[in-house]
Amino acid sequence: MATINPDFGAELKKYGAFDFNACYNCGNCTAICSLSTEEDSFPREMVRFSVLGSTSDIKSSLKPWLCYYCGECSTHCPQVANPAELIMSLRRWLTAEYDWTKLSGVLYRSFAFTIIAFIIAALGVIGFGFAENFNMETIMLFGHKFEMIAIIAVFGIILLPNVIRMWWFIILKPKIKVPFIKYLTGIWELIVHMFTQKRALGCDDNQFRWFEHFILVIGYLALLFTTVALDWFSTGNLFIIILGYVESIIIFIVTVDFVLSRIKKNREISKFSMPSDWMFVIWLFLMGLTAFIVRLFIDTGIIKNNIWMYMFHLIILVQWALIIVPFGKWTHFLYRSFAMYFAKLKAA
Amino acid sequence: MNKKLGVYICHCGGNISDYVDVEQVKKAIESEEGVFLAKTTMFACSDSSQKEMVEDIKKNELDGIVVASCSPKLHLLTFRAVAERANINKYNYVHANIREQSSWAHSDDKTGATEKAVFLVKAAISKARYAESLEPIKIKSKKAVAVIGGGVAGMRAAIELSDMGCPVTLIEREPFVGGRVSQFDILFTTYETGKDLVTRLYNNLLARNNISVYTGAEVIENSGSIGDFKLTIKITPRYIMDRCNEGRLQKAIDACPVEVPDPFNFNITNRKAIYHNFPSEYPHKPVIDIENCTRCGECEKICESVDFSQKEEIIDINVGSVLMATGFDPYTPKDGEFGFNQINNVVTLPQFKRILALSNEPLIYNTRAIKHIAYIYCVGSRQVEGENKYCSRYCCTSVIHASIMAKKKFGNIFNYHFNRGIRTYGKQEVLYNESLKSGDVYLQSYEDDPPVVTQQGNKIVVTVNDILTGKKQMAVEADLVVLVTGMVPRADNSVGSLFKLPKGRDNFFNEIHMKLRPVETVIDGITISGACQGPKNILESSNSALSAATKSFSYVSKGELELEPIVAEIDKNQCTWCGACAEACPFDAIKKIKDGDKEIAMVNNSVCKGCGMCLPVCPTDVINLIAYSNREIESMIDALAGS
Repeated sequence: MATINPDFGAELKKYGAFDFNACYNCGNCTAICSLSTEEDSFPREMVRFSVLGSTSDIKSSLKPWLCYYCGECSTHCPQVANPAELIMSLRRWLTAEYDWTKLSGVLYRSFAFTIIAFIIAALGVIGFGFAENFNMETIMLFGHKFEMIAIIAVFGIILLPNVIRMWWFIILKPKIKVPFIKYLTGIWELIVHMFTQKRALGCDDNQFRWFEHFILVIGYLALLFTTVALDWFSTGNLFIIILGYVESIIIFIVTVDFVLSRIKKNREISKFSMPSDWMFVIWLFLMGLTAFIVRLFIDTGIIKNNIWMYMFHLIILVQWALIIVPFGKWTHFLYRSFAMYFAKLKAA
Repeated sequence: MNKKLGVYICHCGGNISDYVDVEQVKKAIESEEGVFLAKTTMFACSDSSQKEMVEDIKKNELDGIVVASCSPKLHLLTFRAVAERANINKYNYVHANIREQSSWAHSDDKTGATEKAVFLVKAAISKARYAESLEPIKIKSKKAVAVIGGGVAGMRAAIELSDMGCPVTLIEREPFVGGRVSQFDILFTTYETGKDLVTRLYNNLLARNNISVYTGAEVIENSGSIGDFKLTIKITPRYIMDRCNEGRLQKAIDACPVEVPDPFNFNITNRKAIYHNFPSEYPHKPVIDIENCTRCGECEKICESVDFSQKEEIIDINVGSVLMATGFDPYTPKDGEFGFNQINNVVTLPQFKRILALSNEPLIYNTRAIKHIAYIYCVGSRQVEGENKYCSRYCCTSVIHASIMAKKKFGNIFNYHFNRGIRTYGKQEVLYNESLKSGDVYLQSYEDDPPVVTQQGNKIVVTVNDILTGKKQMAVEADLVVLVTGMVPRADNSVGSLFKLPKGRDNFFNEIHMKLRPVETVIDGITISGACQGPKNILESSNSALSAATKSFSYVSKGELELEPIVAEIDKNQCTWCGACAEACPFDAIKKIKDGDKEIAMVNNSVCKGCGMCLPVCPTDVINLIAYSNREIESMIDALAGS
């Protein structure tokens, strides 16, 4: 037996959901969804759980992650209850629930807090630069080290525990028995979905959107690898230099398209934007752009007189690595692919 | 007895002639006694055929016609009209049904079908030979209508009748007019109160001099029939002559030591033995509830208008038609039905509406602060096992509206609707939408798995296997449980029995035809309107009141009524009154009368329907049904038997 929690609706509204109460359970959304199956039918069920405030059912469900937001359900909803945006909000809410630090929730719910966090990160970088007398070499060296340390720390302290919490909510708490061997054989599923997002191809409208997103992910991961492992800013290897340029161009071109589409609201997915959505695409864009310009300044030899450019890049990088990656929208990269992995485990 | 008859045999396109050889039928009957001309026709009902028949009758000076075609239900009146246009009496027309009774029934046997058609036509010819010219029975009709019930339907009908120039007697059993609607607070969709509607109607009534209103009045006897109902009305006194002087009424009410549950508030509050329902009730006079009054005299000391010497009054009225608008009762749940009368804070929808109207912020009932309200739908309606199979129509809209009002009036309220499918039809759908958008939770179950209300310590818990969530069991802790009760017929519907009004399986008064004659009853001259006929909302009640008013007026408007002359007649010389016919009559049309020194049976022509039930039970065979005399029927049987 589950007790109805009427306060959940108000809670969910802070994560961007609206009007989902208007649902009169016709099920058009589920019928029109190209990813919904008989075994895993959504989004109506999720709308229903949200209306009833059945949080335990939502927490143990993978369905919010099985949706790739084509928005057909919202287009066809006779009550204009916006099921697609509700599912989006559930993903935000789940991200906050998985996060043991609870900071994700605070950042999603309060825009003011988000701004403060970004300002603190910026001031930290400027303070560090000031302490180092804006010494070009020390700062760049630190920047490179910071990248490596941040990756390890964010993964070890925040993301890994959170994925384990997700596993606990989805597999352990509902007492689903999974043979150990399945954990190993399922890993291929995890890798495929992490790097290809191939499920998104199942959305009817989605072929071009999927392609854009795919090359953005590959471009982003490759740039990360190029700067961290191949030390793009310091290398003399022409191939690596050009590779970095190409990757950063890909990132800012695709993100510009994403930002424009959020401004134009020309697709269901871009109609409603929370601050977290704007921050994610804009910061990704700035990452690509500033990295490109920094390397350009290095190649043209003007970086020494324009240390501010690198400082700006570093600020973006720190805000990205310490706020957006562990607590913001970046996490969907992990949770989506682990959701597919856990779905495979559950099916076994 | 040498009638000249014309016989027409219809092809009905091919409906008849595909199976019945109409030419052969024609040949077979041409030489029958009295047949002057016989014709076949493609469509007897067509304009040209009708014209031809009129010409034939006139030219050949025919005495009667027979048309062998479809069912008389379809075209009996058509061909009677043909006879009238040709200046012969319409009862000299005889109908033979060779479509439903022959061609359609025997499409597998053409020879047999033709043979049967021949017999049917011959029988009709035999009847036509003996058919008599008849004139309609004319009776006087008193131009006045009694409206029984002073609720919205009754008052609306009375106003309409008055507009048409018809004197009206409005008879209300309660001491105040307004009926159930006066108990409603704010209404959807106009956001007026029930009181506003009643006030408007009552003021309109008072402005007319051809309406007499009696409150506290009951019809206790009826004799007579359509055109001439004689009603006896008993009027209970108010024991108050006029309004008390300024402010004294309240003092008199305060002084009354008697406290009884107040039915106006569905017993959630008490009232005194001297009372009024709300400060501006109609008529503007309080009343003393004499059954509960102890005659202590306290009120008499304060208010000079109190007068215990008033006596019950009996008056007789004479009207041409009676319009019933006696309304409904809300369903009262059985003890223990969803915890009713067993768990505190389980109330009915009408009670809930009174609680909302009477409460000020914050909402408290039975000392409990109300925040979470559970509504259980279809209580006493749509019962699979119980008696009330019907949907009460108004409750979904009413409860959703009330729940929205509760939120608006008291703020922090959470509503949970345990329903069996929402029926906010028509414009009322916007309410459902508003309710959903405001965050109300709707849970649904099937009739075989209703919600369960249990008391757990101090908590009231409502659980349901919600079919919208895959039958998952969901629970709500409620501060108040509202049983959304539907409409049932008035517990005391004796006035209906007085008029012998038939009731349907649902025990509401029954109309003649649900779709085409929705306000007439089989008792001529009596119409029904409003919720006494079945669940209706206010709009639907007004609609039916207006049509019943029109129908009732049509009975009395000309001062005279023409009735079908096909009635039973009793040979008074031979009748020796045994009472068998009176017992057999379903319409109460036969009465015992004195004829000189002997007792005989007499048929009231204005009530008799010509059904013939009295004929076979008469031991002396002295009853004749006009147009179906023994002679006519016997000759038809002879023809059918082929002799």
